[in-house]
Amino acid sequence: MKVSINWLKRYVVIEEDALTLAKDLTMFGLNVEEVIEQQPRFKGVVFGKVLEVSRHPSADKLSVCKVEAGGPEPLNIICGAPNVAEGQSVPVAIHGASLPGGLKIKRSKIRGIVSEGMICSEVELGIGDDSSGIMVLDFETKPGTPLEEVLGSKDTILDIEVTPNRPDQLSHFGVAREIAAMYKRGLKLPETISLDDLSDFDLAIDDKDDCPRYTAAFIDNVNIAPSPKWMQELLISVGMKPINNIVDITNFILMELGQPLHAFDRDRLEGDKIRVRRAEKGEKIVTLDEVERELDKEILVIADASKPVAIAGVMGGIDTEVTGSTKRVLLESALFERRLIRRARKKFRLETEASYRFEREGDIGITKFALERAAYLVREMQAGECDSRCRDLITSKESLKERKVPLRVKQVNRLMGTHLDANDIAEILGRLEFKAEPSKLKVDVLVPSFRRDIDAEVDLIEEVARVYGYENIGKDEEKRTNIFSKRNQDERRNEAICDFLTMRGFAEVVTSSFVDSNDLEKLGWSSDDRRMNALRISNPLTEAQSLLRTSLLPGLVNVAKRNLSAEAEGLKIFEMGKVFIKKDVEDGLPDEELHLTALMSGNSAPLQWFEKPRKFDIYDLKGEIESLFKFIGMNEDITMQTHTERPGILRYLMDGNGIVEAGIMHRSVLKRFDLEEDILFFDMCLDELPKAAISTKKFSQIIQYPSVKRDLCLVVDEGVYFEDIKRLIVQEAKHLDSITPFDYYHDGNLGEGKKSYTVRLTFRSEKGTLESGRVGAIIEKLLEELRNRLHVKLRS
Amino acid sequence: MSDEISESSVEDLSNRALNSFENAKNLEELETVRVAFLGRKGEVTQILRSIASLPQEIRPRIGKKINDLKIELSALYEKKAEELQSESEGEGGFLLDPTLPGRSGFEGGLHVLHLVLKEIKEIFYGMGYSLAEGPDVELDYYNFEALNFPPDHPSRDLQDTFYLTKDILLRTQTSPVQVRYMEKHKPPLRIIAPGRVYRNETPDPSHSAEFLQMEGLYVDKNVSLADLRSDVSHFVKSYFGDDASVRFRPHYFPFTEPSAEVDMTCFACKGKGCSICQKTGWIEIMGAGMVHPSVFKYAGYDPDEYTGFAFGMGIDRIAMLKYGIDDIRRFLTNDIRFLRQFWGFSS
Repeated sequence: MKVSINWLKRYVVIEEDALTLAKDLTMFGLNVEEVIEQQPRFKGVVFGKVLEVSRHPSADKLSVCKVEAGGPEPLNIICGAPNVAEGQSVPVAIHGASLPGGLKIKRSKIRGIVSEGMICSEVELGIGDDSSGIMVLDFETKPGTPLEEVLGSKDTILDIEVTPNRPDQLSHFGVAREIAAMYKRGLKLPETISLDDLSDFDLAIDDKDDCPRYTAAFIDNVNIAPSPKWMQELLISVGMKPINNIVDITNFILMELGQPLHAFDRDRLEGDKIRVRRAEKGEKIVTLDEVERELDKEILVIADASKPVAIAGVMGGIDTEVTGSTKRVLLESALFERRLIRRARKKFRLETEASYRFEREGDIGITKFALERAAYLVREMQAGECDSRCRDLITSKESLKERKVPLRVKQVNRLMGTHLDANDIAEILGRLEFKAEPSKLKVDVLVPSFRRDIDAEVDLIEEVARVYGYENIGKDEEKRTNIFSKRNQDERRNEAICDFLTMRGFAEVVTSSFVDSNDLEKLGWSSDDRRMNALRISNPLTEAQSLLRTSLLPGLVNVAKRNLSAEAEGLKIFEMGKVFIKKDVEDGLPDEELHLTALMSGNSAPLQWFEKPRKFDIYDLKGEIESLFKFIGMNEDITMQTHTERPGILRYLMDGNGIVEAGIMHRSVLKRFDLEEDILFFDMCLDELPKAAISTKKFSQIIQYPSVKRDLCLVVDEGVYFEDIKRLIVQEAKHLDSITPFDYYHDGNLGEGKKSYTVRLTFRSEKGTLESGRVGAIIEKLLEELRNRLHVKLRS
Repeated sequence: MSDEISESSVEDLSNRALNSFENAKNLEELETVRVAFLGRKGEVTQILRSIASLPQEIRPRIGKKINDLKIELSALYEKKAEELQSESEGEGGFLLDPTLPGRSGFEGGLHVLHLVLKEIKEIFYGMGYSLAEGPDVELDYYNFEALNFPPDHPSRDLQDTFYLTKDILLRTQTSPVQVRYMEKHKPPLRIIAPGRVYRNETPDPSHSAEFLQMEGLYVDKNVSLADLRSDVSHFVKSYFGDDASVRFRPHYFPFTEPSAEVDMTCFACKGKGCSICQKTGWIEIMGAGMVHPSVFKYAGYDPDEYTGFAFGMGIDRIAMLKYGIDDIRRFLTNDIRFLRQFWGFSS
């Protein structure tokens, strides 16, 4: 909220400069987000001394003055003010000066005599509302001294972030009250004329819960005119547009006291009555912004005998608007149920200064006071005659009572870590206009009506802490606790996996939790794949961000696409993140699975001099998966299958369950994503990694005897896989330490439908060095088994 | 044959042999030369074998000469072989160029958000905090109601929310983990809960619809604002350096009271005031406060027995501050040229 420092000064003395005030308010809980220096409203106005006054020869009401204003010669100035006199100190606008409203001062002839400037009134300088004569300065300085600074016509605007629990700060008086408490200064109430609840005006409230209080004042013989300059200036300074005296008074009080008022043209209220009621379905109203709005039962309206004339607390109707021809005005000052205001504001998307305040719960104690303030301003501004009788209907007398909240001294110190006593606390709360009665162990506190946010003890403790100063709490306390950290093992494993992958050249990425349904379609999963059944956001930012991701793959594909087209010749990326899987339980939360998905595309290494570039292939992918398995201790008991329905997709199985899906993306998928390079990926659900598979390491003896190595060239039918050969060898070969394939090819020389593997077998025994003959016998037996069971032949 | 052997013929052999070894251009040639002179049927070997049949008067001198020659040639062969060996080193017989770059593969690294989160977590683990987690898709109950946001209250407008249904939403803060954790654990407790949060806001350089947040919670008997200040201050000094200090400004959050916003000394100007801190010398880094008694009631704790503090910080914001990153949207864009700037060890 924007507040003017000049405006604040009407209620509290402020000696501090704007920046100091802003900092102090911030530390007091009113966060000043911006300090806006307003430009001076006039320029070229200087201190002058009236030396001589004589009558204008051809105009009775004008005087010709000689004024010393810093120049080599006194200036000749024609003045119309009755109060001008010799010896006065005055503000003089000299040739070239500019005044508020854009007036430029020039040397000119008035009734035949040259006038070299203008002696100004408060109104002309925009710093007061006295237009009865020129402004007489009550200080001395050198003639010619500029007055921009001296006259304090400059204003500074503070933009304060008001938190939703403190609607009482949404006004200048409210902010001034905080300043008074902060600096321990007096607070000056605005002037009022008291009104009595004696009017017999026909006012009715249908449901007392909807409107706890409604107060109306009545102005007759209204004289619609512009409001005085000072009021216009203040309204403009906080961003409001002056309209006419009556409307400006309501806006001024809104900004001064935070209470929204509404002015109705009383002659246009049918039946001269006000009824606060819910709208009927189908009823309509054209509001001040000239929009027709359809109402319903959930909308609270102000109505006359036949129709709604305002949406309560939000905006008035155009039919009863105050206009230039208005003669009688009804001023409304009320309190409405905040939920109804919120509903109306949301339904019509109509946030007004009034709705903003009512939604945050207004002050039931202030409605009549605000009208008494209006009555004073109406009289001062001669805007009409305010009836001293008002109509004040309070449906909930209970809420007018001050609430009593007890406060335990011990609890204050326990929460704050301080050593305050009851008197300290009472003094602090007293500064905030709480009535605080200290006793030994507690303070009894009466909460003023404008502090709707204070319900319980802890609310008061916050107030004590705030005024005491957060910066004064715990200055030299160093308390230690005996709670120790316990590391989460899943987290440790997951971090280790991330580190491992980065060491292998993967870049970690973080993508959005939202997914575009088009991207899901492009992946070509079958419609009963659970990943196609994504959760939907009911109010998404855009259609492309309306689903929650069921896979990290779409995000990664898009990252790959962006980077490959940017510059990268090859890419290794991964993400560890949540996917969201719909659960059948009604109204329950989805399953959130933590997935690790990695993607490789393009060249398998940066461009280098010692080898030719080549693309990533399936063995690069398998290598990454296998080394990851090994890293987390899952190198055993895993089998690999090709996906039956989707060629090119591999599945790694553990105990029959797929724990990793991996493969090369199908050409048709690439085409739909408009990608040229192959995409290789793997995806695993980390929640499904069996805990038992995570390695617990244990020392085992190192065999000191040397190993014996034998290389075999095996020729087999195309239908036989290395895995089959390996399984048989592992089963049959005694003393086998390892089996490593180191050549694989097939060509015509081998014969139709044949291929060849060269493998190195390493044998080792913990009992002693294996003799060559012994190994030979093992190999012989092995070859026989291979021949019989897999038709393996030895290549000659 | 023996009569052909004379001092001059040995001299001649010596010259030819030395020349041949010297001129061998590669290992193969050298080998041929070795066989021709020193091999089993080589010239030098043959003379050595026939020494015994030489006339008495020249035998000792010829003998010595030919022996010396054999030793000399053998040494020359070793030397030459070594030279040629090192010349032909390298694949395909290339010349060694030690200034060519060595072999390397792609470089990798963590995403800068996770790098920052990891460092921050380490500090809190060192202070005795443990990890807690909660779901991204959350019940209205945990995200708002149990955190003392009344239904239809303007405080809900502080955070624009994505809804899946009336009661299910994307969490707008990590604070729901507080109640979830307290429901299942008894005090004393000291946890951090990092995670992704969501706000229905149109993205701009400083706002994102999804970002990382980290919650902290400490509950015990007699935990006070002074403890909060002490922990937060320790964290800020550990992470940003000993010359960083903090200040607490009163603020409002529905689930803490008293509540504060925490500022730290602007790292760019060290508190003097600059454009980054909008001339205040301070930068906001987190929200914090004492756990509201209503929240304890929802969690089933007695607010008269326990007190606690909570804090929450935006990891994206801290990463932006620490590295001077200009736009929050870069984090989810994942341009490798951006990501790689933060890889590798840094203090």
